[in-house]
Amino acid sequence: MIRSVYVLGEQGNMLYSKDYAKSESKADLVEFLINLTQFLGTVDLENKTEFMNVAISRIFFAQRDSFTFMFVADKADDSTQIEEKMEQLVDSFMRDYANLASANQPLDGFDDKVDEIAVTMVKVAILGFAGVGKTTTLHLLRGETLPLVHDPTIGVSIKKLPEEVENANIVLWDLAGQSRFSILWAKMIANAQVVIIVTDSTLENVLRSKKLVTLVKDEVPDAKVIGIANKQDLPTALTPERVGQILGIPTYELVAIDISYRDRLIQIIRRAILEGKAEAKVA
Amino acid sequence: MPEATFVVHLDDFQGFLVKQRYPSTLTLNEKVLNLIFYEQQKENKENLSLAEIEGLRIAIFSSPQYPKWMVCTVLGAEEEFDLVTEGLAGSGRLILALMNEDADAVNLEEIVKAGSILEKTSEEQKLAEIFLTPSSALLLERMQAEGVEKAAKLSIWLKNQVQDEVDLREAMAPLMNSGVVKVEMIGKTAEMVFLVKDIFGYRAPPVESIKKASHTLPAIANQYNEYVTSFFSPPPPNKGYNPTLPFTDPNSPILEDREKISRLLADSLNYMVLDALRTEPLTAGEVALKTALPESIVKKVLWSLEASKVAVHFEDEDIWALLTNPRIESFLPEYVLPMIKKKVSEKEITPQIARRHLELLMQSCGEPT
Ligand SMILES: Nc1nc2c(ncn2[C@@H]2O[C@H](COP(=O)(O)OP(=O)(O)OP(=O)(O)O)[C@@H](O)[C@H]2O)c(=O)[nH]1
Ligand SMILES: [Mg+2]
Repeated sequence: MIRSVYVLGEQGNMLYSKDYAKSESKADLVEFLINLTQFLGTVDLENKTEFMNVAISRIFFAQRDSFTFMFVADKADDSTQIEEKMEQLVDSFMRDYANLASANQPLDGFDDKVDEIAVTMVKVAILGFAGVGKTTTLHLLRGETLPLVHDPTIGVSIKKLPEEVENANIVLWDLAGQSRFSILWAKMIANAQVVIIVTDSTLENVLRSKKLVTLVKDEVPDAKVIGIANKQDLPTALTPERVGQILGIPTYELVAIDISYRDRLIQIIRRAILEGKAEAKVA
Repeated sequence: MPEATFVVHLDDFQGFLVKQRYPSTLTLNEKVLNLIFYEQQKENKENLSLAEIEGLRIAIFSSPQYPKWMVCTVLGAEEEFDLVTEGLAGSGRLILALMNEDADAVNLEEIVKAGSILEKTSEEQKLAEIFLTPSSALLLERMQAEGVEKAAKLSIWLKNQVQDEVDLREAMAPLMNSGVVKVEMIGKTAEMVFLVKDIFGYRAPPVESIKKASHTLPAIANQYNEYVTSFFSPPPPNKGYNPTLPFTDPNSPILEDREKISRLLADSLNYMVLDALRTEPLTAGEVALKTALPESIVKKVLWSLEASKVAVHFEDEDIWALLTNPRIESFLPEYVLPMIKKKVSEKEITPQIARRHLELLMQSCGEPT
């Protein structure tokens, strides 16, 4: 997601800034950006958008005339998506606001424009073996009536989360767990920023699911991975702590057929998106 | 006649998107799209596979060049899959190449009705791949200097050149596919790389096409001649295009132009149109007929060929002709013979290796290029 937007003038002076979500060490970042502007003055970006990685962030920048434009986004973001947004931002600014900025006039309306542009799609993939409750979880998240029979998913089912997280639209990818569909998993989690691995909290299933953790770490190394210990209402359920220990990822309890878990789960996903990958080690 | 044709793309965020469909009334549900992708992934290696999905017989074409894209054809009840595979693969190849250029501009109806296809890559196109793969072009230069070399040594040399992890097999693939080098185990331990062909990329004068024009198209013949003459040998002080100048000559047109020529030839759409014009000047409509490509596409390609000084347009007659004929030709590298001799006498290679190299050279010189 795009966490911050900056527009700087020729002298590295801040013409516009907006933060949608916290990113690490803000003060350092601003200083870094100002240095960057000075550095950019000496190279020609040829109207292209470039980026560099700083810890878990990815800073996208572009230059047009004497203006420098920057987004602080995530390493896990799809860079083509962010680059498109950058183009829109630069075009809109140069068309309608560059003259105002040069004349030190207020940039009326620019803030709304940025709000419109800085919306990105964040993909959350739900992975797990057959019948563990992925589709049930998807319905729970969307606040829909919960199906009580197992109607196996074919391939993938893609739905939006009704709530936005900050300025991001959340797209949920509910993958099919039946083993014949396992050939699709690697392809389907591409570009996911968060992968939720759902287990039914039985020992056998949790042990098998360790394979999924490896798959996710190989395929989308920048994604945040969390575990779900579902079906906690059943007597056979391992505790979420135990499930988390076995999987080696932060894991949360769930009863997907109980609507009262909805808000908690949304908060978990929200935090996963905002904190990103780096926090996973701390948690 | 197939019942329907459609193009599916798996977008990482939005999932399955039907990017084109014909007829436009065709409806597809999520389950069908999921199963198509599943079937295609199951048979990942093949380009064209047949699947029975929800009572439909669907032929699915995909290509490693365009991952997550599929061209699907719903077969009619009377259609025999085995009889239509070649046509479907050809049209699938064409559709994906076009989708890659401009997905919205693709006219599926036109393509399906005309039965347009894209051929598999020709020999000349395989040669072009060498110049388009930087590490292959480097290897070719090295082989021109060495003639014959141990694969292991070549691999080390390449790694030093590019200062990065490179896979020798991958860098070698365009050279092997086009028969420029041969790789063989000689004895028990030495895997050897032999240079058996050399290649040369340049623009030839469109001789055949000019001849034809002078017989059958008097209206353009003179003008055509003038265009070509002023490209290849303009009045002084202009130098014109002279591919026989060596690389080291600052006027040599080869190096800078070689990549452009290769790019033109490697692109199958360009290649088909260009090849159609090699023998005679044609109208866009005639090129469309000759290549079975949709005329709208032919026109686009012709404009881009004009921009790269390959084609010229005679506006009044609305005829297109080649201004230059981009070619990549292979020839026998006779210059390796003294190298082989020297390497044997200095015991760098065994007589057995030298003999094998001569055999391979003779074989390749007998092959048609
Ligand atoms: N007791 C109990 N049952 C649950 C819970 N969550 C899901 N189920 C049931 O588990 C069964 C399978 O749920 P689904 O959500 O369809 O499973 P899935 O993971 O999507 O399965 P695939 O699509 O085949 O991969 C259904 O009958 C659900 O009602 C839970 O927390 N407790
Ligand atoms: Mg499901």
